[in-house]
Formats: sequence, structure tokens, C-alpha cells
Amino acid sequence: MMANILTTIIFLPLSVALFLGLFRADLKLLRIGAILSSLGTLGLTLLLLSHFNPEATQMQFVVNHAWIQNAGMHYKLGIDYLSLVILLLITFLMPLLYLYMLKESRKGYWYNMMLLQTGVTGAVLSLDLILFYLFWETMLLPIFVMIGKYGSSMRQYNSMKILLITVLGSMSMLFSILYIGYIYFETHAVWSFALSDLSSITFQARTSIWLAAGFLLAFAIKIPLVGFHTWMAPAYGSAPTPAVVIMSAIMAKLGIYGLWRFGFGLFSETLKFYEPTIIVLALIGLLYYAIRAITETNLRRMFAYSSGSHLSLIALGLFLSNIYAWGGSLYFIITHAIASAGVFMMIGLTYYRFKTIQIDELGGIASSAPIFTFFFAFFALSIAGLPGTGGFVAELLIIIGAFKESFIIGLFTATTMLSAMVYIFWMLQRTLFGVQKNICEFKDLNKKEILMLSPLVILLLVTGIAPSLFIPLFEPQLSISLNEILTLTQGAN
Amino acid sequence: MESFFALPMLLVLFGAFILMLLSHKKNISLKGFNYIGVFFLSIAAIIEYTTLSLESNFYLYETLFGHMFIVDKFATLFDLMFTMGAILTLLVNSDYFKSRSYFSGEYFALLLFSVFGMMMLSHAHELLTVFISLEIASLSIYTLVGFHKNKRVSSEAMMKYMILGSMTGAIFMLGVALIYGAVGSTSLDQIAIYVNTTPLADMTLLIVGASFLMVTIMFKLGAVPFHSWVIDVYHGAPYPITMFMASTFKIAIFAITLRLYIVSFTEINFIWIELLQGITILTLIGGSWLAISQNLVKRMLAGSSIVHSGYLLIGISSIGLGSEMAAPAVMFYLIAYFISAVGSFGILSFIASQSKRQMRYEDFKGFANRRPYMALMMSIFMLSLAGFPSTIGFLGKFYIFSSAIGSGQILLAGLGILTAFISVFYYFKLIAMMYFYESDDKQKIFPINVSTIIITIMAITVIWGGIGTSLIPFVPGADSFISFAKEAINSLS
Repeated sequence: MMANILTTIIFLPLSVALFLGLFRADLKLLRIGAILSSLGTLGLTLLLLSHFNPEATQMQFVVNHAWIQNAGMHYKLGIDYLSLVILLLITFLMPLLYLYMLKESRKGYWYNMMLLQTGVTGAVLSLDLILFYLFWETMLLPIFVMIGKYGSSMRQYNSMKILLITVLGSMSMLFSILYIGYIYFETHAVWSFALSDLSSITFQARTSIWLAAGFLLAFAIKIPLVGFHTWMAPAYGSAPTPAVVIMSAIMAKLGIYGLWRFGFGLFSETLKFYEPTIIVLALIGLLYYAIRAITETNLRRMFAYSSGSHLSLIALGLFLSNIYAWGGSLYFIITHAIASAGVFMMIGLTYYRFKTIQIDELGGIASSAPIFTFFFAFFALSIAGLPGTGGFVAELLIIIGAFKESFIIGLFTATTMLSAMVYIFWMLQRTLFGVQKNICEFKDLNKKEILMLSPLVILLLVTGIAPSLFIPLFEPQLSISLNEILTLTQGAN
Repeated sequence: MESFFALPMLLVLFGAFILMLLSHKKNISLKGFNYIGVFFLSIAAIIEYTTLSLESNFYLYETLFGHMFIVDKFATLFDLMFTMGAILTLLVNSDYFKSRSYFSGEYFALLLFSVFGMMMLSHAHELLTVFISLEIASLSIYTLVGFHKNKRVSSEAMMKYMILGSMTGAIFMLGVALIYGAVGSTSLDQIAIYVNTTPLADMTLLIVGASFLMVTIMFKLGAVPFHSWVIDVYHGAPYPITMFMASTFKIAIFAITLRLYIVSFTEINFIWIELLQGITILTLIGGSWLAISQNLVKRMLAGSSIVHSGYLLIGISSIGLGSEMAAPAVMFYLIAYFISAVGSFGILSFIASQSKRQMRYEDFKGFANRRPYMALMMSIFMLSLAGFPSTIGFLGKFYIFSSAIGSGQILLAGLGILTAFISVFYYFKLIAMMYFYESDDKQKIFPINVSTIIITIMAITVIWGGIGTSLIPFVPGADSFISFAKEAINSLS
């Protein structure tokens, strides 16, 4: 059972989707199947968690089969603290998303969600570069279809845009993967794309700078770092809510994950070369996205920029390479995913009620819907880093890490963090309070919606009030891998 | 035993004559002719399949023909592909034949004649035989292109193709004459011996002659700048012939190219490398440009077939630079392209058999609503042509690009990946058209007949060829495809 558990977790949703599709299941069955598949993966992941050894420094539950032998591609999966965190996020969010879209009657929507889950899970768990590339591209397809088919306002154009820009990134990554594979072939006379094999290569400095650039482009587009973000606001703006939640909570984090796993795994020395550039880009991103968020009038686009701003912060923490910043980054991956999932669901619910998410057409929600207001404000504030929520702990850790790196970076990070408060509070004031401009009656949250949102609230509170429950779980491994990278890079200097 | 190897060719020829003799009979339906053709081709294919595993490397009827024809694994594999291509063309288009009144018995005879020419071409081991077989194949195809004689585009396409094709035929003849002048023989063995023993400075005549041969080959492949006929001819020809030309005839040209390159001109390949690389760059860029700017789907596929020739030329120049993987990579790419092209043209001809209209991109709006399964399969073929992972097209590109990197053509591989990125645009445009526009049309029933079954099998093969693994024993996957290709190439030298 435990030997194939990773495979099962990845392919359960896809096989359920295939099975249902093959027998042309009706909507009711499809709905049940999708929900069961998500609950099944959640259960399996919890089972995995109970068998997970937090002390081990190696990959666990490794599966390694020859896949396409002539080209040295392997079906290699494995899990460590980093992938476990994102895996937990995925499996935790999926049932809630299904709960959110329970009334959805378009069948393709459900199929796409299941395919999407397989794509993102596979990308997190694969340890072979070609396999990773496969899942990396696969998860783009459902997003492409969901934006283009079920989205709003210029959906066809925006889905083509996100597709082309992301594919440009992944093509450049493919080029690097092929080249690295060839370098390995030259020295070892066999093909291999397994991460563990490839990370043993020592590159020439000049080549490795180009190769790392290929990977960085893919990840920078996915995160997105400032300058690579042109797809972000349109795509978030026209995507349907479940797709937005996945994009912001999972796929953007996969950009960070890719940097962490493959960037540092293959090019830890070369990334030193890019470190100043990325730190500067991340700092600019922090400020730029915040300003764009302040001026934005569409709620979803506003939180798209806010998401970009916070992901820049995570990327910043990753490249500061000290234990506070790293711990903060990992912690922020969790809390930001939960909080942004909450916020985007709230925006979806707002749209469901008012048929608009333009900030200036909203207002006065608080007087008619107090519970709704509480949840909305809670998620928004926890994105901004309200003390008592997980976001605060994470941001604090990253800011401490920034100060450890240098006073200027620390100061800059800390002050720009405050800008999040500006747009969040201003937005809250304009949407929740004030006079109601929309004539239709605003219904408060019903039981289903409360059921769907409260796990997120509870998790945010727990991560905020008692971070000591979580941080020791991953800290030892984190510091070990950090030390490895630090010794490697110092060896290079 | 020797005759057993010759049997497929003779069977096809025999079948062609039978069809020709029967074609004046009014009481045989088109379906009858179709099945007679398929019958002969299938027997030929079965015999080829059985001989594929036999050891074979000898001249066919040496006492009679001398060294004119050779039998080896390479030729047999290509023969198998031609016959399969013809069988699939006939079966997939059986609906289309019914829907157009201008088809008659001669049509099938001509198709078999051209298959016979191609089979001769893959066995040819002497330049005059190459010329004759090339002309047999081409002349049949010229006629087939212009078969709809009352249609202006069709006649125009035929004239364009025939005049240009005959001219390059003359250039080919000139090349053969020059080579004969230098070597004193037109046999590929003698040429190989001459090339290996003569100092480079004395080979001017042969090099000039061989360059003329290259011109003809480039013309037949539709490489830029010899491409001007491709789009119009593909457009003007009936769907079955467009399909036959794009998949099967192109493979035949590559058969002779590979043989010339690997057997005869190995030692002097380096002379053409830069020229070939130049042509490749032009082909990739020009083809992409042509494909992007088309409005009709058929013309887009024609333009993209130029780009695919470009990828194959990357492989050819890698062979010239001494990459061992390159030749099997070209073979594999041919198989991959063959499957995807048969599938996509098959769907087009299926749609065309239901209506008389030209198919623009816009006509595909709402296609997914009307015919969800067809749309799904068309998407699979588009994904494969675009080289998306988990399809056979991705593996094809993988082998081509890694062999290019292996032979040091980094920039060419980079350009190839860039054009693959561009191709995502025009292939996904079709997917977007099919899925992203609603239509009120009722869903039509998926018709189960020969054409649709074959298209379905092709779609499954595309997926299986991409992910087909060594995990499942006894089922040939992607690995055995490439092993076949490797064996075939090894039989050449």
C-alpha cells in the first residue's frame, strides 16, 4: 500500500475522471465521483503524513521505474517536507473547492478540476525532470480550458495569453533540461533525467548561467516576478473562481517550489549569481504590485496583484538564504495559500450575489450580511498580515531574515509590507462598509458556505496563534538543506 | 525466399493493375474499389511485418537487376509505413469518397501506383532507379492532386506542382549525369567507394552533382526556399491526397534522403552542413510564418507541415555532424508525424464529407458542442503536432532536439524549440475555436464506422506513443518504436 501511495495520490483523480468520462456519467455521479476522489486523496495524504518521518533528510516513499529507457526517462516520485507541505495544501483545498462549485452543472468543469489536481500533484511529487515537465505542462491545459470556456470578459484572449506566456517559459525550461540531460550523457554515456543524477554534475560557469536562466524564466513567469507578470491580472480577472484559487494558492507556489527544488537542486552555485537580480526584482515587485493593487478597481484583479506582491515576498525570502527567511517562506506558502483561497472564494461569492466585483459598485455589505463581512475581512486581513493569523508569523520571519541579510533590504521589506495594509483597509472600507449601492438584496452566508470557509479560518488562526506546532516539524530538514546549499556556495566562493 | 521479400512490392503493383483494369466497370462501387485496394495493401503490409523480424541484407534479384534494389530492415520498415499510410488513407476517407462524385476506380489504381513507386524508392540502391521510382510516385500524385478536374484550385494546384516538380526532376537528372561523369557508375556502392577513396579536391563534379540531388529532395520536402508550391497544392488537392502527401509521400522522400546521407555521402556531409543549416533556419521561420498567417485550417496544416520538415532537417544536419542518435530520431519523428497527420487530416476529411464548405478557423466554433469526441481527438492530434508532453509528438521533438544538442547545434535546437512555441499558437487556436465558443447546435451522435474507428485508434496511439512505458510488458510502447528505428538505421551501414 505505502509503496504505491504517491502514484495513487497523483492518478486517483485522473483515473476517476477517465472512468466517469468513458461511461458518460451523468452530472450527479460525476459530482459524487469528483468529491470522492478529492476526499480519497485527502485521506491518502493524511495516511502518508502519519507514516512520514520528519527526521529523515532523504526523499521518502521513493518510486523509481524505468519509463522510456532509450531516453533515460524515469518514473521517479518522492516526497520530502517541501513537497509534503504543498501536497497537503492541494489535497486540503480540493474538497473545499468542490464544495464551492457544488451547484456547477457544466460537466467539463468537473473533469477539468480532476485533471488539474493530477497535474499539480504530479508536478510536486516528480523527481525526474521530464516527468516534472510533463506534469508542469499538463496542469496548464485545464487552466487554459477553464479560463477560455468558463471564464468571463475576454476569456478567449486571456486564456491564449496565459497559455502562450507560460509555454514560452516551459519551452525555455525544456531546452535547459535537454541540455543538462546531454551533459550527463556525455560524461556517463547513459541518458538520465533524474534529479539526483543530474545534481551531481558540475557545470562550467558560463553554461550553467544560461541553463539556470532557462529554468528561472519558467519559474519567474509562474510566480510571477515583476516584468514577467503581464498575463497575471487578465488571467485572474477572467478565470472562474476555482481556477483562480488553484492558480493563486497552488500554481504560483509551484513556481517557488520549482525554484526551491530544481533551481537550488541543480544550480545552487549559479543562483548566487542571480541572487541580487532576483532580490531586486522581488523588492520592486513588492512595491509595484502593491501600488497596482491600490489603484485597481476590480476586486479579483486587485487580489491578483496582492498575490503577486506576496509571492515576490516569498521569492525574496527564498533568496535571502538564512533560516529565518527560509522558514518564513515555507510558512508563507502555507498561510498565503489558505488566505488567498479564502479571499478568492469570498470574491466568487460576492459575484454570485451581486453579479459584479467592481469595488465602486459594492458597499454596505456589513449592514446586511455580518457573517459574510467577518469572513471576508478576516481573510483579507490575514493576507495583509494581521497579528494572530498565520500570515503575520510568516511575514515577520521573512522580515527578520531580511534584516539579518542587510539593514536596507530589511527596512525596504518592512515598509513595503505596510503598503498591503493600505490597499486592504481601503478596499474593506469601500466594499464592506458605507452605503449599499446595489439594489438587490445581499444574502448572508448559508450553512454550506460557512462549512466551506471555516476550515480555512481555523487553520489560519492555528497557524497564527501557535506556530510552534508547525515550525519544528520542518525546521530540522530545512536547516539541513539550507546548510548544504550554503556550504556549496561558500565552496564556490 | 528472395521472392518473399519482393512480394509486397509485386502485390501492390498487381493490385494497381487489377484496379486499373476493373475501373471501367460500372457495377463495382467505390467502396468495392476501396476494399480491393485495401486488400492488396493489407496483404503486402502483413508480409512486410513478418519480414521485418527476419535477417535481411541483400540485393534483390541480383542476377537480374544487379545492385539496383537492396532489401534491408530500413527499406522494409519504410515499406510498412507506406502501405500502412495508404491503407489508413483509404479507410479513413471512405466517407469522403462517398460524398464527392468525382472519385472513380482509377483513383485507387493511381494511389497504389504511387505506393509502388515509394516502395521502389525505399529499396532503390542506384540513382537512376531512384529517379524512376520518384517519378512513378510523383506522376501518380500529380494526377491525384488534380483529380477534381472541374475545380479551379485543384487544377491550378496540379499544374503548379507538376511544372515545378518536373523541373526539379530535370535538375535531379542533371545531378545524376554529373555524378556518373565523376564516378563512372550510378550505383550507391560505387559512389560510396569513390567518396571514401578520392581526395576532396578532386570531387568537385560529384559535389556539384550531389547538390543538384539535394535541390530536388529539398523541393519535394517543401523546404524554404523551395516551398512555394506546398500550401497551394495541399489546399487544392482533395483531403485524402493532402493527407497522403503530408504523411506518406514526405516519409518516402526522407527514406531516400537518409539512404543517400548515410550510405553514399557520409564522408562529405560536412560540405553541406552550413547550407543545410541555413535552409533549416529558413524552413523553420518561413514555415511558422506561413502557418500563422493562414485562415483555412487545411492551409495551416500545410504550412505547419513545412515546419515539421524543418525539424526533420535539423535531424538530417545532426546526422551530417556525426550524431549517432540523429538518424533514429528522424525515423521516430517521421512515425510520430505520420500518426498525428493521418489523425488530424482524417478528422478534417470526416468533417468535409458532411459539408462542401472550406473549413476556416471560425467554422470550428462550437465544434466541441456538436461533436465532443471528435473535438477531443482533434485536440489530441493538435497537442501532438505542437509537441505537448504525454503525446508522441513530444517524444519525437525530444529526440530531434537532443540529437541536435548532442551534435553541437545548440542554436538550431533553440530555434527549433522557439518555433515549437510558435506552433503552440496556431494549433491551440484551433482548440480554442472548438471549445471556447458556445453554439446552440444539438450534440450529434458519434458515428461508428471505419473512418471514426481508425481515427480513434490513431488518437490512442498518439497518447500511448507518448506515455507508453516499459512498465507494462508485452505491449509495444514508445521504447519499441525507437528500437525499431535504431535497428532499421543500423541495417543501412
